[in-house]
Amino acid sequence: MHKYETVLVFQADLDEAALNTAVETVETLIKNNGEVTKIDRWGKRKLAYPIRKQFEGYYVYMTFDGAPSEIANIKRSLGYNEQILRYIIVRVD
Amino acid sequence: MTEKNPEKIDEEKNERPERVERPERGERSDRGQRGADRRRFVSRPKFCQFCTDKNLKIDYKNVELMGRYINETGKIRPRRQTGACAKHQREVATAIKNARHIALIPFEGDFWAEY
Repeated sequence: MHKYETVLVFQADLDEAALNTAVETVETLIKNNGEVTKIDRWGKRKLAYPIRKQFEGYYVYMTFDGAPSEIANIKRSLGYNEQILRYIIVRVD
Repeated sequence: MTEKNPEKIDEEKNERPERVERPERGERSDRGQRGADRRRFVSRPKFCQFCTDKNLKIDYKNVELMGRYINETGKIRPRRQTGACAKHQREVATAIKNARHIALIPFEGDFWAEY
């Protein structure tokens, strides 16, 4: 188990309910084989450059404990999720 | 060889062009020196910001801090401008690349113009 942090950029045009479910799906994804320790919603932010013709993104910051072998699975599922414009996972310990 | 030929042609035609050319060369070299002097006196930090302040951590999420290490075209500023030591400059560079990926910092273009 290692400590990781991740920043997820969701589409900003989702309504609140859709956004909550989107965050929850990521949470459950991590909880498959790990533990979410912190969720910090930065909220809507202007993107530094347009992504998929969108100029705003909803930023969510998470820290979690997880197994290195699981990271590849998490990344793959995040990649399939069309509501997520960008994500980054960084090991912090 | 190529340099000598035009001189010969000038000598054959007239001696004046040679005399005119020499002071021009002198002026040019003076200009170059002045430019170099100007560059030398651009104020810049003399110590690595992260070595002096141990509490300051390089973080790709810290937009304000990372924004100071890119120039107005969005490029990563060189070490001679930032004053960062080699180790920390490397870390800054990777942090900026991370921040670019999640669209906190632009790949190109003026970042501060928006604020």
